[in-house]
Amino acid sequence: MKISRFIHTLLMMVLLMQGCAFSRGTLGDDIKSDSIAAIQKGVTTKDEVFRLLGAPDRLVPLNGRDVFQYYRYDAKAGSLLLIILNFSRLSIKSDDLFVILNRDGIVEDVISSKRTKALAFRFWPFGE
Amino acid sequence: MTNRTGRVASLLLAALVCLAPLGCNVVRVSFNASLGPEDVAFIVPGQTTLSEVVAKLGVPNSIVESDSGIVATYRFLDLKYSRVNFGWLAKPWTPVDPDLIFSRTGLGVDAFQLLCDPQWVVLNQEFQRHLTRPPFHPYPFQQSRVSPQDELRASSGPAIMARHDPGNIRSHAMPNE
Repeated sequence: MKISRFIHTLLMMVLLMQGCAFSRGTLGDDIKSDSIAAIQKGVTTKDEVFRLLGAPDRLVPLNGRDVFQYYRYDAKAGSLLLIILNFSRLSIKSDDLFVILNRDGIVEDVISSKRTKALAFRFWPFGE
Repeated sequence: MTNRTGRVASLLLAALVCLAPLGCNVVRVSFNASLGPEDVAFIVPGQTTLSEVVAKLGVPNSIVESDSGIVATYRFLDLKYSRVNFGWLAKPWTPVDPDLIFSRTGLGVDAFQLLCDPQWVVLNQEFQRHLTRPPFHPYPFQQSRVSPQDELRASSGPAIMARHDPGNIRSHAMPNE
């Protein structure tokens, strides 16, 4: 009896999951939290930043200082394809890191956000 | 006979209800969390620092220098697309593949800009566009709900104009959204 119920449940799941699609795309390398934590304000030099994080994606001059910007994009798409009624949702979030260096090439400030941590596959396009 | 007619009518009604969503597509694309006036209401120009903004909204997507200070920009997108093909209704009864498609896309692209002085104090804040949330219905013949004033404001260039004033940079927290 239990086996029969299990088979029925499995069959239902297989039938329901037939019209599903999961896709994912990323741009840029993962910005490792360890690397960010290793950067010390007033101590870490430009060369050390290069070693830890690689070349920046953008270099912005700011009041005579250099700002290194690193970013990464993550996109997750979920589709529910019911042949006659299809729902799709694509969510994209970015991780951004700014390293501000003073005129001597020493790190003055670091600001970062990891938005992609909260990124999930979603199908339902309505609501928030 | 009346009972039979009623049953046929019920079946037809059920078939129509089932056929109504035929050929429907609903798609949504979002980039970062959309910000609204209520999300940025805590910002008081001349008092709030960029650190406080970063602590609540996360790191901006870009920071650039302008003539009067630093411009931080938060970008976001909420695209809504819906499409219905009424041709599907005729498919079971015709040998051809008829299409009668209504579709509508609302891009919902916007950005929130902050102008900060060299001490990272917010001087000015404004949304780049003032779009209302895009609709989710496929009917394409309805006017957009953007007011003419908002259209003028959106087409008059960036919200923040600046002048140069160099200075020091203050420390910020490292929040996560």
